[in-house]
This record gives sequence, structure tokens and C-alpha cells, in this order.
Amino acid sequence: MSIFNKAVRTAALAAVLSSVSMVAVMAADVTLTLISAENDAVVAPVIEAFEASHPGIKVEHQSIPFESMNAAIEARIGGGDSSIDVLFVDSPRVPSMVARGYLKSLEDLRSEIEPLVTPVALDALSVDGTIYTLPLWTSTQMMFYNKDLLDKAGIPHPGADQADRLTYEQILDLGSKAQAAGAKYGFAFEQIDRYYQLQPIFESIGGGSGLTGAGNLTPDITNDKWVEGATFYAKMFEDGIAPRGIPAGQVPPLFASGEVAFLVGGPWRLAGYTSTEGLNFGVAPVPYFANGKPVTPTGSWALAVSPHSAHPEEAMALAKFMTLDPQGAFKTVEANPIPPVNLEAFKLYSAWFAPKFPGVGDDAQKIMGYELRDSAVSRPLSTGFVAFEEVMNRVFGDLRNGADVKSTLEDAQRELNSTLARIQ
Amino acid sequence: MSKTKNIYVALAFLAPALLAVVCLRIWPALLSVHESLLAPRATTYSLENYIYIFGDPIFQSSVWTTLFFSIVVNPLQIAISLGLAILLNNKLPGTGFWRTLVLLPVAIPASVSAVVWAAALRPDGLMNALLGLFGLGPQPFLTSPQQALACIILVTSWIGVGYWMTILLAGLQDIPKSLYEAARIDGMNRWQQFINVTLPQLRRPLTFVLVADTVSNFLVFAPVQILTRGGPQRSTNLIMHEIYNRAFAAGDKSSAYAATVVLILLMLTIVAIQFRMMSDKGES
Repeated sequence: MSIFNKAVRTAALAAVLSSVSMVAVMAADVTLTLISAENDAVVAPVIEAFEASHPGIKVEHQSIPFESMNAAIEARIGGGDSSIDVLFVDSPRVPSMVARGYLKSLEDLRSEIEPLVTPVALDALSVDGTIYTLPLWTSTQMMFYNKDLLDKAGIPHPGADQADRLTYEQILDLGSKAQAAGAKYGFAFEQIDRYYQLQPIFESIGGGSGLTGAGNLTPDITNDKWVEGATFYAKMFEDGIAPRGIPAGQVPPLFASGEVAFLVGGPWRLAGYTSTEGLNFGVAPVPYFANGKPVTPTGSWALAVSPHSAHPEEAMALAKFMTLDPQGAFKTVEANPIPPVNLEAFKLYSAWFAPKFPGVGDDAQKIMGYELRDSAVSRPLSTGFVAFEEVMNRVFGDLRNGADVKSTLEDAQRELNSTLARIQ
Repeated sequence: MSKTKNIYVALAFLAPALLAVVCLRIWPALLSVHESLLAPRATTYSLENYIYIFGDPIFQSSVWTTLFFSIVVNPLQIAISLGLAILLNNKLPGTGFWRTLVLLPVAIPASVSAVVWAAALRPDGLMNALLGLFGLGPQPFLTSPQQALACIILVTSWIGVGYWMTILLAGLQDIPKSLYEAARIDGMNRWQQFINVTLPQLRRPLTFVLVADTVSNFLVFAPVQILTRGGPQRSTNLIMHEIYNRAFAAGDKSSAYAATVVLILLMLTIVAIQFRMMSDKGES
């Protein structure tokens, strides 16, 4: 009996001691979870800087594939999962997430945010005048070209000035020429079947964004200009100038391995391409249609704190560090050269950018400057954007694989009418 | 020990399993029924979600695609599994090695298998290179609406066949050798032995494999999401992928719940028919 009592007392003491030490550990260390569609290496510098300046808070990054980001947010934030603290949010998805209650108002931070961003950027963070996300990145595009492949085909290197901008028609001709001289593919988009990068085709040709009407909830993808743009897009693959059957994530390495002559991509590609041995490349502005206007995509990820975060204060500290603190915001782009929205961080970024990428940095910076100012078009803001984007990404996949242009667009228009009516 | 006490003891042992069934199966199924009867923004029950999905050509086509897929993939997988089980039940050289080789894909997560196959089935991938060695032209595989579903069948079979084979192999090894000796004495050839001894003796494991394989093929998701995302032109849009799309891409959870209930009813009906057929066969 005495042995039994002794054992009970020992067990009770051990339980008390372990619970005391557990409380001590919990008080000292909070681990936050950050989710994004980026590689760990992209957020590593900012996490390191945050952890150094906030002892006791650790940050764990979970990288989710871009294609699964919507589903992950729906399932986890929608399901009340408290294990996500801070999340990356693609700007045009903000209205849809607000409508579903996945984002909380950040109006109490207005006085801190307003001086740090342009009015246009502030609009992208807001829905009906209420701020819901914190300003992280914006984006633009440029056209990378492989100098060696162009030289082999006797194609002069395109210039980096606005006046040197080539047309899509010229690019397809030059791409074919480069293929005849040995390039595997003539031209490709980095995000080869995603709406973000393909919207400019339809905007440039005059077809519009694809959404119109009150709240951008009416699909408009069967007008003549959309059919014309989609026919151009489908022809790139039909003629073998752009690759079929290769997922979007595997397209950028094709340029790095010298298989593509021209590639429209984001400035974030500069880091990888400049460090690729044997890749001799330059940058030029994104093409446009001869009978249209220059258009480039813009907008990017913003940052939000999950309404279900188990550590809302620490999560907000991380979110503010990554967006409102100029040094912190700059750290988010150090391993991923994309323009930060924070104007103070943008100054640091501008001074750092060109010397960081010798040979192409000056041209890239020049292109980014005028594209962001003159040709940038945002994706349509709509509570139906998430559904629209998913349908359009599938449409582009089908067109790429050789589906009939007109019937594919008409079918998608019917689907969107039906889906968006449920959202209205 | 009294009978009542026996029941309590049995219940205590069964409790974890029963709890899991209630929490992980019955409760979500009931929740799906409840949610499927609530139209978006509605507070009263109606059949609106069901009317909507049955009037939607995309949902209709996903049901037909799933049924076609099931009709092809289930007999195919079971026939291959049974063939392999019979082959590996014989004392061939290196039987252990071959069994491991066939079972290996089961140990690899379905998503990893799908990623590997995605690379192999690319237009410039391994499969076309192999076809080239035999003088055959390149095939579009996953980019063709005519070939993509066949590719999904190939990948799901590659993943599943080893598993079903193992169960059938265990069933084969349970058949008493004396039955085959008696059959041989009666003058039966190999085919007659297979029809009159092997198949009737394998009825139980075959019923299990048939039902479990049918259910697992109704629930195929990862290979579709990774290889084709339901395309090209919805040719691989199986009902599970359609439910996922509705719930997580279009954000229309109400119709996703309704589609889930339809899937459950479809599976239950087919599985009930299978049980009935297999038990009738046994009695006759």
C-alpha cells in the first residue's frame, strides 16, 4: 500500500512539475505559422530578422502550391483552423475572402498604413473603403530573351526602352526563326496557363478583363476581341512555338536551360537566371498587339492575420514587421526581387536592385519603372474573382491543349453565368 | 460471466471503433445531408441545391465520366490483380522479388506516384521516348481529351493493383491443396480447376476486393488533381474532383454538399448490388 501511495505521490509531483514547466515554456515561446505560395528561401530572410528582433516568437513557414492556395484557405481558414496565424492573400481575392468572413477589418491601422502606400495600392487592400489586408508586394512583367539563341538565328537583341516594344505578331515570327536555328521553343509565358499573366493579351487587344457589370459579376469572355485574343493564344501552342503538356511551374526552368528564346516573366526570375551558369540573357518590355495598347499585369500578394489565430497579437506583430516596417518589408524581397508596396521599403529596394543584377539590373529597373506607371492593369476586383480565375485557368489549359476556341469560351461563359449567379 | 456483462465488455472493446465510425463517417454524412438541403443564404430546407446540380451539364458529365471510369477501371484492376496473384502463387524463380516489386507502388503516396507519372507522360517525357524506341510516334497523353482518362486509369491501376493482388494472393494460399488434387483426379484441366475450385473458393476475398476497389475508385482524387485537374475539356472530371472544385474553387459549398450526398447514394447503390450479386452466386 505504501509503495502504491509513494507511486501516486511521485506521479502527482511529476505531473505538477511538468505542467509548471509547460506553462513556462508556453509563456516564453510562441510559434507562429505563416502560409504562402513561396519557397522557404523567399521568406527566410524576413523570418530571421523578425525572430532576431522579437525574442520568444518563432515563425514556421508552410509553403503551399499556388494551385492549392484557394483550397487551403477555404478548408483551413473557412474551417476555423487556429493553427494559421499569418497568410499571404492574392489581392484580387480579397473581396471574395471578405464576403466569406475570412478577413477582419484593419481600419484601426489606417493611420499607420496610409502614409506608407500610394492611394491606388490602398484601394487594392480595401473593400468598399475598409482596409482588410496589409501592403506586401506589387508586380510587373518583362520579357526575358536568350542572347545566344537570338544570335544563332541572326535576330537583333530587342531594346529595353518603351519605344523598342515589339508586337506579339513580331514575337511569334522571331520565335519561329529562333526555333529554326535550334531553340526548342520560340516564346512562352512563365505562368503559361494562368489568368494573371494572360489577362494582358485580352486587355491589350481591347477585349476587357472578362468580368463586367455591377460588382464585376457578369462574365464577358465571348466578345470578338476575346475570341481573337484566345485564338492567338491557342495558335502559339498549335504551331509548336510554346510548349504543351508542361505544367506552369516547370516552364521557367526551360528558359534557364536554354530551351526558350523569349519568355515573359516576373522580376523574381532575375535572381535564379543571373546565377545560372551559361545563361546569357537580356530583358525587354512585354509585347503588345499592333492594333492594341501595351498592357502588363500587376498586383500581388498582400498579408493578412487569420481571424482564428491562436496568437493574434504576435501574428499582428509579424504582419506589421513584414509590411509596415521598411527594413522588414525590404527583407521580404531580398531573396525574391519583386517591388514592395511600402514606399520606404521601395526606396531601399530601388537602391539595391540594379547593382544586385549586373548586366540586366539597369534595364530591368527601367522597364519596371515605366510599366508600373503606364501599362499596369489590375485584375478585376470582385467577390466572384476566385471562381472566375479557377474557370479561366482551366479554359487556358484547354485552349493550350487544342480545344476549339469559340465553343470553349462559350462553355466557360455558361459555367461562369451559373456559378456567379450563386454568388450574387 | 452474465450475458449483459458480456455485451458491456464487447461494447467497451468496440467503443473506439464505433466512436471513429460515428465521428468520422456518420456525422459528416449527416452534416452533408443537412447542408445539402440549405440553398446559399437560405435558412429553410429545400431541394434547390439538388435541382441546381442535376440541371448543371458539368455535374451531369462528371457523373457519366465517373460511371464510365468505374465500369472500365474496376474489372480491369481486379482481372490484373487476380492474374498477378495466380502467377505469383506459383513457385516461380524470384517470387519474393516479384511480389515486392508489384506491391511497391502501394507504399508510395498516391500524390508522389502522380507527380512521377506526370513527368513520364509529358509530351517530351519518358513514355514518348520509349514509344520512339519502338518506332511509334509521340502521343499527347494527358493533353488529349481522348487519352487523358486512359492515363488516369493507368496511374490508378499502377498504384492499386499490388494492394488488391496481395489480398487475393492470401485468399489463394488459403485454398486447401486437397481440392486441387481431387479436381485433378476427376480429370479437370487448369481452366476447369480455376472455374470450379479457385473462383468459388476466392468468393470472400473477391467480394472484399470488388467492393473496396469500387469504393476507392469512386473516391479517386489525387491523380486527377495532379495530372489533369479534371481536363482537358473535363474529360477526367471525376465526381470527387467536381465536388472539390465546387467547394474549394468556386466556393459553392452548398452544391458541393449536394454532390457529396449524390456520390454517397451512388456508391451505396452499386456496392449493395455487388454484395447481392456475390452472395447470390455463392448460394447458387
